[in-house]
Amino acid sequence: MIARVAGAAAMLALLLAPVLASPYQLTLLLPAFAYAIALLGLNLLFGTTGLLSFGHALFVALGAYTAAWLTTRAGVLALEAIVLAAAALAAVIALPVGLLCVRYVKISFGMLTLAFGMLFYSFLYKFYLVTGGDEGIRVLRPRLLGQTFAGLDKVGFLTGPFYYYALALLVLAALVMRRIVRSPFGLSLRAIRENPDKAAFVGVSVRRYRFYAFMIAAVFGAVGGALLAVPTGLADPQLAYWTHSGNLVFMLLLGGFHHFLGPVVGAVVFIFLQDAVMSLTAYWRFVFGALLAVVVIFFPGGLLGLLARERPA
Amino acid sequence: MRTTRRQFFTLTGGALAAASLRLDVAPALAQAAPVKLGILAAKAGVLAPVGESGLRGVQWAAERINAAGGILGRKLELVIEEESSPKDTVERFRKLALHDKVDAVSGAISTGVGLALGPVAEEMKTIWLSWDATTQKGVEETMPKPKYSFRSTDNECEAVMASILTGRHWKGKFKTVAGINPDYSYGRDNWAAFLAIMKKYGMDVQVVSELWPKLGATDFTAHVAALAQAKPDLIFSCHWAGDTPIFMKQAHGAGLTKSTKFVLTTGGGVHESLKKEFTPEGAILGYNTFYFEHARASALAREFVRWHQEKFKEWPNYESDHGYFTIVAYKTAVERAARAAGSKWPSQDAIIQALEGVEAESLSGPRRYREDHIMEATFFQGITTHRNKAYDFVTIDPVETMTTRQIQKPSGVGLYDWINGWKV
Repeated sequence: MIARVAGAAAMLALLLAPVLASPYQLTLLLPAFAYAIALLGLNLLFGTTGLLSFGHALFVALGAYTAAWLTTRAGVLALEAIVLAAAALAAVIALPVGLLCVRYVKISFGMLTLAFGMLFYSFLYKFYLVTGGDEGIRVLRPRLLGQTFAGLDKVGFLTGPFYYYALALLVLAALVMRRIVRSPFGLSLRAIRENPDKAAFVGVSVRRYRFYAFMIAAVFGAVGGALLAVPTGLADPQLAYWTHSGNLVFMLLLGGFHHFLGPVVGAVVFIFLQDAVMSLTAYWRFVFGALLAVVVIFFPGGLLGLLARERPA
Repeated sequence: MRTTRRQFFTLTGGALAAASLRLDVAPALAQAAPVKLGILAAKAGVLAPVGESGLRGVQWAAERINAAGGILGRKLELVIEEESSPKDTVERFRKLALHDKVDAVSGAISTGVGLALGPVAEEMKTIWLSWDATTQKGVEETMPKPKYSFRSTDNECEAVMASILTGRHWKGKFKTVAGINPDYSYGRDNWAAFLAIMKKYGMDVQVVSELWPKLGATDFTAHVAALAQAKPDLIFSCHWAGDTPIFMKQAHGAGLTKSTKFVLTTGGGVHESLKKEFTPEGAILGYNTFYFEHARASALAREFVRWHQEKFKEWPNYESDHGYFTIVAYKTAVERAARAAGSKWPSQDAIIQALEGVEAESLSGPRRYREDHIMEATFFQGITTHRNKAYDFVTIDPVETMTTRQIQKPSGVGLYDWINGWKV
């Protein structure tokens, strides 16, 4: 009962935030929503299937560059088309990458994903004509459901229509992901995480299911990346750099990867925390490093783990 | 799962309730309230020393302006944020504009960040005075006619000046060239400009090696080996960061400094680390827009150099001057606009109008913003010498100066059209 009331209050607060919160606070929620979508995917791979990717920023960057390329070079401004194209492209790229990576587990899987991530970073950095090199490519203001919202300036657009668009996409992504993790497929992934040999013994195609999880995670990553690039207005190679992948893992650990909504909490808390600490000290990276160590050592369940009375399945 | 969701909603609900409180409501601006200037300075990684240098120039300018009573009686207050990745820096810019409600933003060095900030400054309707980061792409494609963005000098100024000096000193004395430049737009822009000018000057140079180490590289073994094998008569490099002395040290170790000519367009960015033991005499070395030991330096420059040396035990570089100029240019523009507005604090549009064409005394002499919002300044380069007893690093003698009217493309003309139009 309390959960439902709190949940309804949180949703109401999110819906009313454009009226209640300051424009700056709203602009901070936008990357948090985008990261939350990408992390829901990453957590299917990590929290549910037990595969830790250190190269997931590859797909976030892929989504961002899809938005950049379509809006700047192809004249496609419909965000629906951009999101679908990002998802489709991520699936195409994840097909060979995933097929290779899921042959391995643990550190080998992590290192392979890291290698592919850095390979993509080098591609973005070196292929000037296609990617704009170090300078990247601009992301123009998209149309939402056919509407340009020409009467709004960029801040008005971001904190109004785009805010609700991103929130709706996050809710949709969460519902889809909940359906996935609660399905027999999700149950099989958890079985693979706990004991792949046993899972295989009872008829689960371990490698194939890991591959499916990889594909889904990639699609979520790219959709998040496309949304992430709109407020920034630029897709640049640093989005694919390994430190960005590290940040994604940090957000998961912070929120709690054992919990379905851990990624969402992790993304929101990370963004607001980074915003506050960056303004306070030039040594914010040190603070975050120390925080990561504290979380891993003392609170391995993350923020939601702190509050949980029982460990969810 | 139910427990988790409950706790999530409790947590986010609380956070959002707290976040929903408006924290940014400011009282009506009083005439004597401070002028808030947002500063974006790099503080980590390869950009950090240059970001710190720019910040010192800004802080010195603010201290002096405040000591003299501020701008029209209003003290300057600096709100300092970090320049990092384009995404994070865009968020910092938005924070300065929306949350801190600054009057203008000064700063940014990286070209990628510059490209991202330009459109954001226009969208946020916030004056942005960039320290650096002016690529051709930024000028020609991304923001051909900005209103709120005021940019630095073009990326290629140093390459243009160094190329002119190369022609002046060494025409006919070299045939083969190698380029070793940082792998990003600044490196590529400068190398392309150098080759275009060599061609324009009719110096039939042959490129024997083109190397692109990563910006901030800490090992040049492979690159130096490639250069040693290519045996160029001249090596062109626009390295400006901590990687410059590492490269020179390794190049010296491989014997490249014995007979090869060096053109180091921007090495002055880390001039103190270019020690005599591995940096040869007779190389062309550029200091961008500020040379700390210029014989004809103004009293202002001498005072700054003295302050910098006493406070930081270092001799300053050009970024301090870029930072300093943005602040005094803003002050001059406000005062100029105020004169037209009957001594009242002028509107932002009036300040922008006054910034266009504004001239102010920088540490390296007079500087101005062109009407198209590009900075005009004087550049310093020269031939390296070991004949300076006070230092263990190279300095330049003679010191050559050129203004941007000589080495920067004029408004509305493409760089290579401009170079090809030179009368040689």
